[in-house]
Amino acid sequence: MRRVAAVARNTFRESVRERVLYNLLFFAVIMTVSGLLLGELSIRQDAKIIKDLGLAAMDLFGTLIALFVGVGLVSKEIERRSLHPLLAKPLSRDEFLLGKFAGLGFTLLVNVGLMTGGLYATLLALRRGADPALLKAVFAIYLALLVTVALALLLSILTSTAVASVSTLCLVIAGRYSDVILNLGDVVPGMPAWALRAVMILIPNFRNFDLKDRVVYGDPVTFGDLGWITAYAAAYTGTVITLAVIAFRRRELT
Amino acid sequence: MVEAPPAVDIRGLSKSYRIGHLRAQRRQAVHDLSLRVPRGVVFGCLGPNGSGKSTTLKLLLGLLFPDSGSATILGQPIGARAARQSLGYLPENPYFYDYLTPNEYLDYAGRLFGLPPGARKDRTRELLDLVGLAEAADVHLRRFSKGMLQRLGVAQALVNRPELVFLDEPMSGLDPLGRRSVREIILRLKAEGSTVFFSTHILADAETLCDEVALLRGGSLVAKGRLDQILSLDVTHMEVLVSGLGPQEVSGLPAGVETFRAMGERLVLHVPEKELGDVVVAVEQRGGRVLSVQPVRQSLEDYFFAEMGHPAKGETWTAGA
Ligand SMILES: Nc1ncnc2c1ncn2[C@@H]1O[C@H](COP(=O)(O)OP(=O)(O)OP(=O)(O)O)[C@@H](O)[C@H]1O
Ligand SMILES: [Mg+2]
Repeated sequence: MRRVAAVARNTFRESVRERVLYNLLFFAVIMTVSGLLLGELSIRQDAKIIKDLGLAAMDLFGTLIALFVGVGLVSKEIERRSLHPLLAKPLSRDEFLLGKFAGLGFTLLVNVGLMTGGLYATLLALRRGADPALLKAVFAIYLALLVTVALALLLSILTSTAVASVSTLCLVIAGRYSDVILNLGDVVPGMPAWALRAVMILIPNFRNFDLKDRVVYGDPVTFGDLGWITAYAAAYTGTVITLAVIAFRRRELT
Repeated sequence: MVEAPPAVDIRGLSKSYRIGHLRAQRRQAVHDLSLRVPRGVVFGCLGPNGSGKSTTLKLLLGLLFPDSGSATILGQPIGARAARQSLGYLPENPYFYDYLTPNEYLDYAGRLFGLPPGARKDRTRELLDLVGLAEAADVHLRRFSKGMLQRLGVAQALVNRPELVFLDEPMSGLDPLGRRSVREIILRLKAEGSTVFFSTHILADAETLCDEVALLRGGSLVAKGRLDQILSLDVTHMEVLVSGLGPQEVSGLPAGVETFRAMGERLVLHVPEKELGDVVVAVEQRGGRVLSVQPVRQSLEDYFFAEMGHPAKGETWTAGA
């Protein structure tokens, strides 16, 4: 556990030093500019627009980091051989992989946390109360990011960085439009039902994690809902990370 | 009493790499290698470029998996955590994280060994002094030169005061001072009872440091043993440096002179030991002067050239320092 924490700590430090948190600047600019503009216009709907925009930006920046940092997380260490001296120490491959995952997970937590703070600050500055329900949507976004990191990690161990980037991106997009896949049966007539089901199970259903509209437009999100998506994220991430651990154990480090 | 297991015991280790576009072909990198390294020695793994030294080390550290064969390290199978607790490893051309400083990297390494914070701090300072990086302790590694990285590589291999240290070409990239300090570190490790297993193609380093060597070629073991057993330590001939003689005068010298070559105005004669007296007299009779006489023993380098001739396919050979 201590060793996993040491790897996670170093991974977080890397992301800070390699300027992964720079997206926060963009986020701050988006929030400030939209806040100023809407403050001037003082439209009645402005709070909803700010919330929408804030959550969407959080989702986008988070996904980009999860995807591109996630793909390089372990593969870069294999390529540069920086893990050779570490694995000669009492650190196991499993611990290394879990530490890398936890480290990026923590980076994303900090990142999303700061963006959430920025969103609330903007709302408060415009004197539109701080709606706590937003946190539910943020939580769901964070779960989706962990699923994305797990996928990126697995694919980067199985394939090359380029293939992993593209295929993770495809999965993320496919998972967001999984309703389209549901209708695949109509598009590809001969497709058997079981194949359709298999595709639905394999592709992460990112729509489950999209609570933005419900929260912004005041549809209630129960803790039962949150519990369900947490369980889904845990099961999906757990499975994918387990596969990644198995693949990494067999990986030859030349 | 049961004897402690050897530091390294390799039994029939083989490894081939998949190569080519479809990774369908295989290139044999290590072939049926068996080797036993006793504790407390400095062991040199010698061989030309591409002879399988680094591959052997990576197999021993569990970075690569053997096609066949096995090995134990400090009595434990490859990859056992208990053995890794007492190991050190310097990879060839090491890369550490650009964004860390030596202080931070060694601290990270100390954490992986479960050292408490105070011990990490002391050990880090000690090691940076040892490898001469104390001044650069807080400089980001992205600004390090190759030799400085190599020094950090040596330091990180010693964080846990290892019983057994694997060093893959420890001298590479180092300046003369750096080489000397690595030589001293290796000898100090030995004095403290550690075993050092290092690879090199620099024969002079092996000659000055190793108790035992293994000579690899094309992935196979060519010779193994104490250096004085592999090499004949008898004087093979005398090297006589003379001046004031032209080539034609030399050809008239006693039959004992085997070869000679010019070095500027001077000539170097290779003379069998027992002919020395006659040759010196003959040189002086012809108006030349004997500047120096040096006994020559067979060196590893001579051995290599004699035993191996030209390198095997896919190898290149670098002799000397
Ligand atoms: N990643 C790899 N893929 C394919 N072949 C490899 C790989 N690494 C090494 N080889 C081959 O394996 C053989 C042994 O290489 P190895 O690196 O073990 O040699 P070495 O003795 O360490 O050489 P050097 O003195 O240059 O470091 C060589 O023929 C090399 O071409
Ligand atoms: Mg090598």
